[in-house]
Amino acid sequence: MSRMPIVRVAVSRIALSLAIACAVIPGAHSQSAASAINDHPMKAKQVAVAYLFPEQITVAADKPTAVDLHFKVADGLHVNSHTPHTEDLIPTTLKLPETSGVRLANATFPPGTDFAFPADPGEKLSVYTGEFIVHAELVASKGNHLVEATLRYQACDNQTCMPPHSIPVTIDVIAK
Amino acid sequence: MKRNVIVISVVVLIVGLLSLAGWANWQNRRQVKAALTAQQNQAVLVADNGPSGMHLNSPLVGKAAPAFTLTNLKGEKVSLASYKGKAVQLNFWATWCAPCKIETPWLVELQKQYAPKGFEILAVSFDDLDKDDKILLAKEKTDIAASAEKLGITYPVLLDGDSISKPYGDVDVFPTSFFLDRNGTIVAASAGLTSKDELEGNIRKALGEGN
Repeated sequence: MSRMPIVRVAVSRIALSLAIACAVIPGAHSQSAASAINDHPMKAKQVAVAYLFPEQITVAADKPTAVDLHFKVADGLHVNSHTPHTEDLIPTTLKLPETSGVRLANATFPPGTDFAFPADPGEKLSVYTGEFIVHAELVASKGNHLVEATLRYQACDNQTCMPPHSIPVTIDVIAK
Repeated sequence: MKRNVIVISVVVLIVGLLSLAGWANWQNRRQVKAALTAQQNQAVLVADNGPSGMHLNSPLVGKAAPAFTLTNLKGEKVSLASYKGKAVQLNFWATWCAPCKIETPWLVELQKQYAPKGFEILAVSFDDLDKDDKILLAKEKTDIAASAEKLGITYPVLLDGDSISKPYGDVDVFPTSFFLDRNGTIVAASAGLTSKDELEGNIRKALGEGN
């Protein structure tokens, strides 16, 4: 019996052990932003929207660069789109701090999909559910910038609404 | 000899990983237990019979409603204590809350129907108020008044509900309602869009007519 099969068995056992360990150790695996969303849609204080990616981008300095920002709405919830059908509903918006060295030249939000509460099927709302992408155009001065943009939204489920909330959209922008 | 070293190393590695996993699980369980303990005093939403309607299993039910004084749309102070002797529904709402708009016409009708028996609704707005910016604050108050008028609200609308959220269990889903009997005791609570029938049932309970 050669030693190679033994080494292979040993390696495979190590891999198996690591897999088990990763499965049972909380935080041992990379927890995605999406999985950080609470499971129960009615749970108060929950984060309804998570920023997914990108975490880092490299752009040409002082030139507009298109960046797709990916977000996810928690299952069972919806947020108003950027263009709700009525003025009193709070739109989803994106803001960048003016002092970050990075300017938001433009942001294009996806159109919302129609949603109606079961109790009022005739009243259509314009909402985002699941994943949605904001097409942003950034202009950065030369250098490295840790940008903390904010996405503001107002979320509801089929029966209740939560107050408007903002989440950080943190992006490491490297402008060369 | 070399084979033994590999095998022993692997065994040591596995034992180490399993120990780490056990420790991490113990930590996790401890955190979950602590979180559960912390949640024990918080309100719990429980699905009612049917697709709509959520009873709020609030620990406040059976207790005296926390006292408050808020300002109405006319700028007048309104105290909950002044409603003693009446059955009251505290309806926590906001202009941006779509389900609140669905139930409001029901509330307007029910208020008219049960007012002769001594029933009153107080709509407590949770819209943000920029108290440091007088111009913005005035606009926000105007917007709330316009929204209330558009919805046909005939009962008092009180501002700055957020200031009384804490004693009412950190209200953060809308609509939420508390139903108070004539002595100011909370006899029922609901969170989310319920049916008109369920609202009426709670109103009758507050009036001492229901179960």
